[in-house]
Amino acid sequence: MAHYILRRIMLMIPTLIIISFIIFVIIQLPPGDYLESYIAELESQGESVDPQFIANLRQQYGMDEPFLVQYFTWASGMLVGDFGYSFEYGLPVTDVVGDRLFLTVLISAFTIVFTWLIAFPIGMYSATHQYSWGDYGLTLLGFLGLATPNFLLALVLLYVANVSFGTSIGGLMAGEYINAPWSWDKLMSVLEHLWIPVVVIGTSGTAAMIRRLRANLLDELHRPYVVTARAKGVPPFKLLVKYPLRMALNFFISDIGNLLPSIISGAEIVAVVLSLPTTGPILISALQSQDMYLAGSFLMFLAILTVFGVLVSDLALALLDPRIRLQGGTNR
Amino acid sequence: MIIQRLLTLLLTIAIPGIFYPAEAATTFQGSLQEATYLSPSVNNGELPPITERIPRTPYIDSISNDQSVDSGGTLQLLMGKSKDTRHMVVYGYARLVGFNRDLQLEADLLQTYEVQDGRIFTLHLRPGHRWSDGHPFTSEDFRYYWEDVASHKQLASFGPPKVMIVNGQQARFEVLDKLTLRYSWDHPNPDFLLALAGPRPLYIYRPAHYLKQFHQRFADPEKLQQQVDTAKIKRKSWFALHQSKDHQYKSDNPDMPTLQPWRNSTYPPSERFVFKRNPYYHRIDNQGNQLPYLDEVIMTISSSKLVPAKTGAGESDLQGRYLRLDNYTFLKEGERRNNYQVRLWRTSRGSRVSLYPNLNTNDPQWQKLFRDVRFRRALSLAVNRHEINQVIYFGLALSGADTLIPESPLYQPHYRQRWAQFDLKQANSLLDELGLTQRDERGIRLLPDGRPMEIIVQTAGESTEETDVLELVHGSWLAAGIKIHSKPSEREVFRNRVFSGDALMSIWTGMPNGIATADMNPAQLAPTDQQQLQWPKWGKHYQTGQESPPDLPEVQRLLELNQQWREATGTEQRLTAWREMLEIRSEYVFTIGTVAKVLQPIVINNRLRNVPTEGLWNWEPNAYFGVYRMDRFWLDQSQTAEGASH
Repeated sequence: MAHYILRRIMLMIPTLIIISFIIFVIIQLPPGDYLESYIAELESQGESVDPQFIANLRQQYGMDEPFLVQYFTWASGMLVGDFGYSFEYGLPVTDVVGDRLFLTVLISAFTIVFTWLIAFPIGMYSATHQYSWGDYGLTLLGFLGLATPNFLLALVLLYVANVSFGTSIGGLMAGEYINAPWSWDKLMSVLEHLWIPVVVIGTSGTAAMIRRLRANLLDELHRPYVVTARAKGVPPFKLLVKYPLRMALNFFISDIGNLLPSIISGAEIVAVVLSLPTTGPILISALQSQDMYLAGSFLMFLAILTVFGVLVSDLALALLDPRIRLQGGTNR
Repeated sequence: MIIQRLLTLLLTIAIPGIFYPAEAATTFQGSLQEATYLSPSVNNGELPPITERIPRTPYIDSISNDQSVDSGGTLQLLMGKSKDTRHMVVYGYARLVGFNRDLQLEADLLQTYEVQDGRIFTLHLRPGHRWSDGHPFTSEDFRYYWEDVASHKQLASFGPPKVMIVNGQQARFEVLDKLTLRYSWDHPNPDFLLALAGPRPLYIYRPAHYLKQFHQRFADPEKLQQQVDTAKIKRKSWFALHQSKDHQYKSDNPDMPTLQPWRNSTYPPSERFVFKRNPYYHRIDNQGNQLPYLDEVIMTISSSKLVPAKTGAGESDLQGRYLRLDNYTFLKEGERRNNYQVRLWRTSRGSRVSLYPNLNTNDPQWQKLFRDVRFRRALSLAVNRHEINQVIYFGLALSGADTLIPESPLYQPHYRQRWAQFDLKQANSLLDELGLTQRDERGIRLLPDGRPMEIIVQTAGESTEETDVLELVHGSWLAAGIKIHSKPSEREVFRNRVFSGDALMSIWTGMPNGIATADMNPAQLAPTDQQQLQWPKWGKHYQTGQESPPDLPEVQRLLELNQQWREATGTEQRLTAWREMLEIRSEYVFTIGTVAKVLQPIVINNRLRNVPTEGLWNWEPNAYFGVYRMDRFWLDQSQTAEGASH
């Protein structure tokens, strides 16, 4: 087992190096650079900039250096925890992302719990009551959630919350609590705003989970061991939870690999629409304005989390399901 | 209006008599009033009393006498990006020399200034004027900028700003005394004062007492090195540190003193910036209140697409940015519920959107056509501006060519009307005259080499407005036998395509400054900038010497006139240059304008006073709220939120 883990970790190094290079190349691929998009943005509202000022910035930011030099400076900086510098904010990347990380994790955690709370009971109900009215009704509801565009739902909820509850539009707290120390009122304000993103992001996730849980459970429910257990008089709910549900959970465990990065990145588009102070909007605006170190470091961070997440879910699967062997001829 | 003027005049004459003797300031003390917001700090000794804070000769703003003003309160406004903190410098509009409401230049931070032959500028500072931290504002601040920043090899490795160089010659800078400075050139420099008054002003001063701690020449080397090591900068060097602290325009460094009405108190990154009143601000009103009236301005950063929705929910007390005419009905709906009112100001570009035939396009056939004035006139005549106005702008805009709007003192009706009437018959006969008589089976005219006349119009694809206009133009041009296709692309790609000559035609906003006066720079009419999409390569030639110079006589004439304007020493000569340039512009139709003076919704809290009912909304020269003097806006405390009306 230890040998296996070591081997997987060693494999991550070349993977991450390749990813970092690809990220850097792709970010640099579109024509122009940050300063050009900066000039274009200023021009679009009539603001013009002194060419000297731009030349100064270009030198200050090291944009006149060759591509490979820029790449190595960035990549080697990351090894010592220096994720580079955001041109847009004029601050180190860690400072820009740092503050927002907590709120992002908060929203994502709530969303995931919300999804589970909704999806598990419905999935179990649908599977055990296959083709009943309840099954059809709840499935329809789930699909409605999946089919409604997230941004539309977000806008509708924003409007409703504002008109009927007086919640301020967008953001994660009322204006006066931004930058204020944490207090009871601030927490209440956050909770008041939090439900909208949680519901919006959550509804799109539940349908998929309901369907997968239902399908997996259905596979198990007709297995002989279930019949045997039932014949022996195990109460129905205990039976369901103890045997088929455990079997059906594999898909859920392997999802953890994808879960880790999505906790950090949040749902970008919804976050942009709702103007949430999370990391998603930063990533999108960084890509638009070609703020390359901010975008690059962020993507790199997501890549690292994905790679680790996959490892964790592989190990968890092996632990939870004895039928799964770690391949490659290694001894456990 | 006239009475107000007279009053101003009287006051400015009368007050210096009281003020000039240094001790005489006390005679005015009786009526000088301390702002309640600052009283606690004054009482516990953190701040000196108002008599010692304002300059000995403050700028005295006139308000009518019967008006009683409430000082105090907080204003909320919304912005789309955290670097929009710079807009407080635009709105605040404290300039050495600034435009007043009638777009005349007047001394603002400066007490007075004198100009000799358009080339020698003598600036007089206000005695006793202080930075927002209480340090005196003197000629040392100017000297520091010129000698230790602008001329420093490392801090400004590319030399001083372009405005400070005339015909290759840098400004001669002299400190005459503690409060007097002189900048001079051998040739006139008409841009100098305009740059000082700009929405993004040319800063020829720095808070020297603050920045010196980051300057190698003045700072203790050890301390400086320590600061460099701990600083959050990309390159660890003292000049990068200096540059990162020196953000007068961006105003995101709360430690840096300012002369603006409000100073930022929030360190980035943040979603919310609090700007607090500058206790040393140099303007007072004639009742003895120090400006600004508003204690705090809170700028909340939100996604720019949410700004209309948030404004409609009453989350902004003063909003124009990120609002568009098509938000009007939505905003109007929330008026009563959220206690604000929507006013309609007007934009002042020469044209809201213009079509730019690229005279520098690489395709030789098209280039020849675009350079032929008859072709451009035909294109312009074939645009149905009335229809565009009715369909997209509810008929509320002003149609016509891309030129000055009637608010400009230089305006003549024929500039806007010539070659801008919808006349398909004349357009078709002009095209026939050019020999473009062959048509294909669709009725599209053929170029001499047999290709159909199909023009791809590049758009930056940012607003549906541009594509809507193109859709309508498409219809009427088709009747003239020309088909257009619109091609949206990313803004940078769009620009590069036009610059390189790959684009045949592009659509973009019209002439930037539609309310120019003779003293404003006419460079927007001549090929002086690569950003001018009708002749990017000629503009580039003017800027850098690369590419070829213009070969059309009328365009060469524009450049000559531009030069004449630059060398003029008086308004009369400038006026002559402007007139001929405008004449050429309207006669030769280099760009095809559509409609101008499009309405701009401005949302204003019902309690907010002194915001004009009608105004012009533009970057230059009005600096948005800048020339309307946001420091004079005040919140009526007597009125309750319910049932307030204005």
